[in-house]
Amino acid sequence: MLDNLKEKNMGVVRTVLGPVSTQDLGIVLINESLLSVYPGAELAPEINMDKSEIFDTLKRKLNKFRQQGGKTIVDASGMFHGRDVWLYQSLSKATGIHIIATTGLGPEKLLGGYFVTPQTNPPTPWPAEKFAGLFTKEVVEGVVVPRVERATAAGLVVSIASAEGITNEEKSLFRGSAITARDTGVAVSVQHGADAVADLDLLLAEGVATNRVIIGSIDRIGAVASKAAIEIASRGAYVAFDHIGWGSEDGYVSDIERVKLVVELLEAGLGERVLLSTSAVGVAKGHEAKDLAYDYLLSTFVPLLRKAGVTEKQIHTLLEENPQRVLTVDESAELEIKEFSPTAWKELFASVDH
Amino acid sequence: MLGVKEMGKVNTVLGPVASEDLGITSLHEHIGFGLPGCDLDTQWWKKPDEAFEVTIAKLRRFREHGGKTFVDCTGIGNGRDLEYFQVLSRRTGVHIVAVTGFVAGDSALAYFREKSVEYLTDLFVQEVTVGIAGTSAKAGAIKVGVSRGGKLSELDKRIYRAAARAAVKTGAPIITHLTTDPNTAIEIFKAEGLSLNRVLMGHADVGQDVDEERDSLIANLGGYVGFDTIGYDLDMENPPYWGRYRKDRVDHFMRFLNKGFLDKAVIAADANCCALGWPGLKGHSVNYLFEEFLPDIRKAGVTEEQIEQLLVHTPATFLSLQDPR
Repeated sequence: MLDNLKEKNMGVVRTVLGPVSTQDLGIVLINESLLSVYPGAELAPEINMDKSEIFDTLKRKLNKFRQQGGKTIVDASGMFHGRDVWLYQSLSKATGIHIIATTGLGPEKLLGGYFVTPQTNPPTPWPAEKFAGLFTKEVVEGVVVPRVERATAAGLVVSIASAEGITNEEKSLFRGSAITARDTGVAVSVQHGADAVADLDLLLAEGVATNRVIIGSIDRIGAVASKAAIEIASRGAYVAFDHIGWGSEDGYVSDIERVKLVVELLEAGLGERVLLSTSAVGVAKGHEAKDLAYDYLLSTFVPLLRKAGVTEKQIHTLLEENPQRVLTVDESAELEIKEFSPTAWKELFASVDH
Repeated sequence: MLGVKEMGKVNTVLGPVASEDLGITSLHEHIGFGLPGCDLDTQWWKKPDEAFEVTIAKLRRFREHGGKTFVDCTGIGNGRDLEYFQVLSRRTGVHIVAVTGFVAGDSALAYFREKSVEYLTDLFVQEVTVGIAGTSAKAGAIKVGVSRGGKLSELDKRIYRAAARAAVKTGAPIITHLTTDPNTAIEIFKAEGLSLNRVLMGHADVGQDVDEERDSLIANLGGYVGFDTIGYDLDMENPPYWGRYRKDRVDHFMRFLNKGFLDKAVIAADANCCALGWPGLKGHSVNYLFEEFLPDIRKAGVTEEQIEQLLVHTPATFLSLQDPR
């Protein structure tokens, strides 16, 4: 038991406004999107990118989450889906919600040509080590505001596989993400492909600790059918039921089934490895997002858990202790996270030698 | 006699100009190119003041050589930056023509890769007739290209077809990246009712893709053939894999002229003023045309009148917006 106590709720979490003590996080949504832009949509004439409207919508939604008792949200969409860390900093100040930005990429079909068809002969896609280099810098030196600066550290590395099955390029993304987690001490969270257990093995092969891994989309129909959650949690990794509110029309099990699965895990003594979230999108640009608000988990799903006999203590573990523990940066990692400095940008730009 | 004098107007980033005002023009250049995603990698972040200075210096030297119009062939999402182009044009006096379209399917961003021919057509028409990225600057040409692998991908074909429709609708010309798989491209243009004299089939001089029968086929159908990677010489230090020995390129070009295709030939350097997501080729710029290539072809017998055709009359004819249909 001492080990668990030691692991629990000590240390800091990396938010967009800098390091925050773990115990200040409160209730956490660990897999959501704030601004989600389908890559390239921002360049399309029919897409309205009015930042004031985007801000207002997100502020309203985050305030509603806060009114329900929420305190922290993770923007789990990685580097290339409209992540806007300055917007998130302003939103965090305006709402009091802690926001955690993530690094990472995927799925492959959304990647830019720079990663998939580089200007080399042949156009060999990026290997895991290069992705690790990119992601690690986003943790240690800060997330990029493209060609402007590095802002504060990414608090989690997230990569996404194609739901129909992980591609070779996505395997490189996953392995790169695992290396970053191992070296920096932030956790790695993935949306698995078709085989959640195999994807876990892929990550662990890079030497990341099992308890620093989150396997997401564990509530997808296929993952539930293969009983992946119980196997993965038994091995010590986290399983994220991160599509709460989604159903069979989206490829996920229903909330009723989700409640049963959570109860099963609790009864098996694996409650400390379960995470809950909704994959809601605050503002979607260039794609259709599920109509789901950040308060759904607290207002709709938690009452279902209570009805199924889940205790307040267990709910506290699921909504607070677990995400807090996994988001806490492992201080024993090899690399040290640098604090943001407004003058650090000068080191990011090379001379032009033409 | 050589210059075809059907003149009209051309869209530049500072508004339309008369085609007579284009002067010496390079039809395939870049202020800066990078594949989508490269901005996330600080490896390619350059000091903005130095990038500006270098770019201004290259455009100024282009002016000193008599250059007046610079066609930036960077498609949507590859570093095309209209407001920057506008400032560069104001500061140097060089007309900059921006393009709509994509360098190739695999250099387009996901949002556009998944769109229909109809959507892409509307997008290109919008950028030629209304403006680009919320500015009033209109595209002067439409860029298309062949993805890695040498054959037009399904996506490339969608983009080619949309470009052809937009070219018919707006009168803007098409510039291609690569000339491989020419028959597929030609069939699409034909099916959409676009005359090949509105198309510059570019990069015919790329080392591994040389096919002189193809060059003749295109020219005989009225298309323009681009010797437009000039200066990426294998003789230089660290050339890209698609480079060419300098002499081989000149010889290839001269054989094309000697077949009687002077008015179907285009010369350009495809140089980056300051590359965005790749090393570029050190020392290379649009000015290579004047400092190295023109002396080479003069030595090979090309006359001043022919050079004027290549750099002034052909680009003006090609870029002039045709009456929309």
